[in-house]
Amino acid sequence: MPQYQQPPSWRLEGGGQILDLETAVKDGILGGGAGGCGLGSATCEKVDLKKMIEELEPVEDVPSVFICPISLEPMVDPVTLCTGQTYERFNILKWLSMGHLTCPTTMQELWDDAVTPNRTLHQLIHAWFSQRYLRFKKRSEDVQGRAAELLETLKKVKGQARVQALKELQKMAVDHSSVQKTVADYGGVALLTSLLGPFTSHAVGSEAIGILVNLSLDSEAKVNLMQPAKISLVVDMLNEGTIDTKINCTRLIEMLMGEKDFRSEIVSSLSLLAGLMRLAKDRRHPNGTWTGLSLLKTICSHERVRGLIVSVGAVSQLVELLPNLSPECLELALHILDDLSTIPEGRVALKDCPRTIPNAVRLLMRVSESCTQYALSILWAVCKLAPDECASLAVEAGLAAKLLLVIQSGCSPELKQRSAELLKLCSLNYTATLFISKCKLTRTIQ
Amino acid sequence: MLSLVLDSMGSFCSRQKPYNEADTEENEQDAEIERRIARETKAEQHIHKLLLLGAGESGKSTIFKQIKLLFQTGFDEAELRSYTSVIHANVYQTIKILYDGAKELAQNESDSSKYVVSLDNKDLGEKLSEIGSRLDYPYLTKEITNEIKTLWNDAAIQETYARGNILQVPDCAQYFMENLERLSEADYVPTKEDVLYARVRTTGVVEIQFSPVGESRKSGEVYRLYDVGGQRNERRKWIHLFEGVTAVIFCAAISEYDQMLFEDETKNRMMETKELFDWVLKQSCFENTSFMLFLNKFDIFEKKVQKVPLNICEWFRDYQPMASGKQEVEHAYEFVKKKFEELYFQSTKPERVDRVFKIYRTTALDQKLVKKTFKLVDETLRRRNLIEAGLL
Repeated sequence: MPQYQQPPSWRLEGGGQILDLETAVKDGILGGGAGGCGLGSATCEKVDLKKMIEELEPVEDVPSVFICPISLEPMVDPVTLCTGQTYERFNILKWLSMGHLTCPTTMQELWDDAVTPNRTLHQLIHAWFSQRYLRFKKRSEDVQGRAAELLETLKKVKGQARVQALKELQKMAVDHSSVQKTVADYGGVALLTSLLGPFTSHAVGSEAIGILVNLSLDSEAKVNLMQPAKISLVVDMLNEGTIDTKINCTRLIEMLMGEKDFRSEIVSSLSLLAGLMRLAKDRRHPNGTWTGLSLLKTICSHERVRGLIVSVGAVSQLVELLPNLSPECLELALHILDDLSTIPEGRVALKDCPRTIPNAVRLLMRVSESCTQYALSILWAVCKLAPDECASLAVEAGLAAKLLLVIQSGCSPELKQRSAELLKLCSLNYTATLFISKCKLTRTIQ
Repeated sequence: MLSLVLDSMGSFCSRQKPYNEADTEENEQDAEIERRIARETKAEQHIHKLLLLGAGESGKSTIFKQIKLLFQTGFDEAELRSYTSVIHANVYQTIKILYDGAKELAQNESDSSKYVVSLDNKDLGEKLSEIGSRLDYPYLTKEITNEIKTLWNDAAIQETYARGNILQVPDCAQYFMENLERLSEADYVPTKEDVLYARVRTTGVVEIQFSPVGESRKSGEVYRLYDVGGQRNERRKWIHLFEGVTAVIFCAAISEYDQMLFEDETKNRMMETKELFDWVLKQSCFENTSFMLFLNKFDIFEKKVQKVPLNICEWFRDYQPMASGKQEVEHAYEFVKKKFEELYFQSTKPERVDRVFKIYRTTALDQKLVKKTFKLVDETLRRRNLIEAGLL
């Protein structure tokens, strides 16, 4: 994925930013060597250049003359066509090998298919990147040094000083990926984990979690974090923190759940489940909604916890939430409800909620095939439980027409089969003519 | 004509002057009183009301004493001395309960022989039992102390103590019995620890006002803490305190799962706490009140849970022991915590689920622990305040 973002005002066909002489001279790009390999071996320089570009990604404000018009990425081996346009060698060769005999940018027919290496441009690109690279490395070292310092400080101080150190470390970890490695190398993970306990203040805990969630945690660290006292703390912060804290705590628990020895008792906490529902329902923060629903879905995959999820009233709350969710969140929410419909309490809760049937029917064939699948499954569960009551409600809500749509659509055969079965179930209480009238498609469109 | 009116107006006014002056003075005073009432009402609003609730002997008063020691001037010598009679009373009460208990067990238990007090100590027992039943206890002299010590060390009494859960042996029993020599000194002044262990059934309401000291300065929050009696007959006095409460600190002694109530020996204490907590949660005046649940007496729980299974208590009958040793203690504690959490969510209407509910593990006798715990409580309440004011 090209990371280079071209400001919208720049256009590749002329009028782009020119690397002006002044900058070039001032930055030493034109004068003074960039060091490294000599002029001759392009290959040697290419490897270095490639590495630098990779490490510096994403780079802002790369001069547009350095960018290949085909891939929109900085050129490592620029070659020029007879039209005078320069491209990345690999890309233009590919273009030509596909049988095109034109210059991609000017659309002119090529009278000569030779590609000439543009050594001048290559040197400029190399120099520019080298400079940036050196600057980056220096800054990185500074940051890494500071991170190591902060970790040492954390071992000694308490109270407000501790909070401040954590805040600074968190900011650095977010801004610089190199800090994450430093933290890991200096035993930061164990240190941060040790700060979490039954007497950790919210201020300290939320900052520590903010750092941990951005690191890659090994198995040992995860097991350490799964201690009940630490999990309790995370759950408390999830319930009481700012939206960022809530999201961090949720993400951390999701990370722990990926661990091999994860036991479902750890997430069998009513406070956690209630807190996640609250997060999911918060309309002001859509990314919080997604994060909360995502964890709930993961938790729901553990059958033993499903009863608890139902007992915090999640079913009716999720059903009420459905009309307002984005497509990604919708899929998560429906998946959860579908999982909950597999247990008796879940089915009863779905049946008792008056909006289940109308909302589910509305979602059939509306968003995606998987959403349709889940919605259908939920309707099945509810209608099976109380056919007399629910079937009529569903039909009134326009279920029959929707099911016909499914059957006629390009959905999977299993889905069509289920739809047909559900249609049959719902039609039992109706005479043929009455039922057909209910299937009128116009009603669905309304 | 006009001048006449003017003149008379003048004299009329001057005659009125003293009355006006008096009026103005009164008005001034009224205004001043109004201002003071307004100021104090405003100040009151910044005072956070904290309520210590819980069944009898759950540790409310101990927490109360701890707060006094931590954030007020503590106990001065006069106050410390005032506890001497209480402590001595506790000693007499304890030994009486144990001796009478031994007699009862000797009659009713199948292995009665181990509860029979040795002949030598029988007379001592009778004497001490008689003293313990008086309204006024004599001062603890060296002589009586030795007698009590001898009786305490009797095998039968020790056996009875091991069955302490079916009697009403106070939790301070062992501590005081081990310190008998010190307690009976002529110039005995109770230590802070002694005061914390001293057991008096609270009756009525006690309150203190304090400001928790922050790191470098006072945090500015002012709390008023109310302590109440926990026994059933005291609870009718609670309702008067229920308005405008910032937070309820509900104390539940988790070590009591195998004990019966003082006021009703047929009722299990844990079941009583469960029903009481349920009742408190459902009170309409606590809709927006934060709930801090202190699962107290963890030190006693720790030791007990390894000997007495949790499922002895009806509420905990589905408990399944996992490991042994320290891990088992943690497992048992987590189980109890989950039960209380379950109870909270069952008793709380969905609209109210947003109020703060936190569980803390406490040992009220440990000052450091109480200080740490209270710091967390303070932080939570301050954050809640900021969130409600829209600042977070």
